[in-house]
Amino acid sequence: MTDTDTSSERAGTDAPAATDRAIPDEYDLPSDADPVVCDHCGAPFAEAELLALHRGIDHADALDASERDAFEDAYESEEERLRLFRLKALGALVFLYFGLLITYSVFA
Amino acid sequence: MVGTSLRRHCCHLLGALLAGTLFVGTAAAHGGSLGAGGRESIQIPTWLFLLTGGGAIGASFLLASFVTDRLFVEEFHGWGKDAVVPARRLLVALGRLAGLVGLAAVLGIGFLGPDAALANLGLLLVWVGWWAGFTMTTYLVGNTWPVLNPFRTVASVLPALDRDYPARFGAWPSVVGLLALIWLEVVSPLADDPRLLATTILGYAAVTLAGAFVFGPDQWFTTVDPVARVFRYYGRVAPLTRDDTGRLRLRLPGSALTDARLVDGLDEVAFVVALVWVTTYDGLVATPLWRGVATWIVDLGVPPLVLYPAALVAGYLAFFGAYWLAARGARRLADSYVSTRVLAQRFAPPLLAIAAGYHLAHYLEYFLSLAPAALAVAPTPLAGSVTGEVPIGVIPGWFGALNLSFVLLGHLLAIWVAHAAAFDRFPGRLQAIRSQYTFTLVMIWYTMTSLWIVAQPTITPPFL
Repeated sequence: MTDTDTSSERAGTDAPAATDRAIPDEYDLPSDADPVVCDHCGAPFAEAELLALHRGIDHADALDASERDAFEDAYESEEERLRLFRLKALGALVFLYFGLLITYSVFA
Repeated sequence: MVGTSLRRHCCHLLGALLAGTLFVGTAAAHGGSLGAGGRESIQIPTWLFLLTGGGAIGASFLLASFVTDRLFVEEFHGWGKDAVVPARRLLVALGRLAGLVGLAAVLGIGFLGPDAALANLGLLLVWVGWWAGFTMTTYLVGNTWPVLNPFRTVASVLPALDRDYPARFGAWPSVVGLLALIWLEVVSPLADDPRLLATTILGYAAVTLAGAFVFGPDQWFTTVDPVARVFRYYGRVAPLTRDDTGRLRLRLPGSALTDARLVDGLDEVAFVVALVWVTTYDGLVATPLWRGVATWIVDLGVPPLVLYPAALVAGYLAFFGAYWLAARGARRLADSYVSTRVLAQRFAPPLLAIAAGYHLAHYLEYFLSLAPAALAVAPTPLAGSVTGEVPIGVIPGWFGALNLSFVLLGHLLAIWVAHAAAFDRFPGRLQAIRSQYTFTLVMIWYTMTSLWIVAQPTITPPFL
């Protein structure tokens, strides 16, 4: 899903090739990192899914069909994990609420 | 920041009320009356009180994590309305004049007026009018200090050398300046001695005007002057702001804190952390625990003169270190390659909402109780009060609940703004939520520390 070398939008930019693009200053790669790199802006990511999401959000106008599909897939799969997270968060809230309630009934 | 006795009575009141009114729901159910006499306060152990405060922050983080709609968050923060200010030049001129008159009054009455702190209008103007009242307007309404600032008005008509400011210094001098001002305020009777206060202001004026002369007023007041920078940062919390063309812009309070341009270097992070830390330090040195620790350290042979600045710097480094660790943890938990430094910059502005919340909780009551004193001595500034006594406002008991809600509101705003900033920074929604774990832990820890300090009996800092 990172195969975007056919993209014509980048023809005008002066970056020689996607993989040679300098990593922007705001990133700091660990020495053992094996990042996937955005070929629009050079941002490195630990996972292809994060890269797909990044392209969909920050380069929405410059996506080709495969990138768009990758974004939608990544978004869907993230949605599933978010649902699970929400359940856990709800559980934590309930735990917090009743935990405090019981503590109050004992100590206050 | 206000020191010693002027501060004492209301901090004490705040602590007692915070402890008592956190559970106002239960209390109201008993009495059904909001009058001070009809309320029952429930005695709860301090640790439970702190746990509840920390729990409230944790719960708000969990609640914020339910909002994962990127567009909603962006629209929410992008909302704003523009307006043209009528008679802008006239208002600016009046504001500058008011600043100059205020400074002249503070200096004149400070040197020539009565000795007693509560009878001296100059001293009341500084602590009650300016540091309590005016500061509130900077984060509740908008930052008007660039117009009011009398030192800036004076500097702008004086010639300037406009030397290049050494870029490597950045905003670091203002961090040192802010810490130094707080140290001075804590160890000296600035809030009790009108002459000393007026002299200090003269000293500050000399340094400020010299700096503005060498580097130019714009450079000096945006980069170096700690006072102007405190107000500028507080102003970023406020709903009103001014764009470059002078148009007024209305935005949601705190919504500008997600702006990545606000804090653009380590020096700016250091300043924001200093702003949060000085409030804590100010309260910490007035707790019985500090008296115990300080006595122990002084008994070991450390002079108090060294102890106070050392504690100021050590505590600051601890705060900065904790914040830095949180940023590093965020980088790891979010599985991101964004540098720790950039993350520290990005999540520093939300701390300003916390600082504003604590300021309001500390000083609204202080302002309301002492404003009558200022009004009473205003007609005869040089002679003090006509009757020899000054009125002090009596603050109703339910105010404690209000103060507590300011503290919590500041934190809620911070949690929300950090959440929005994380969504802006990270492509993954779950990634954004995970990045906030460590920051939320630090905020919980900070809330509990602050609530503990506020709930302690306030004493006079020892050895001063």
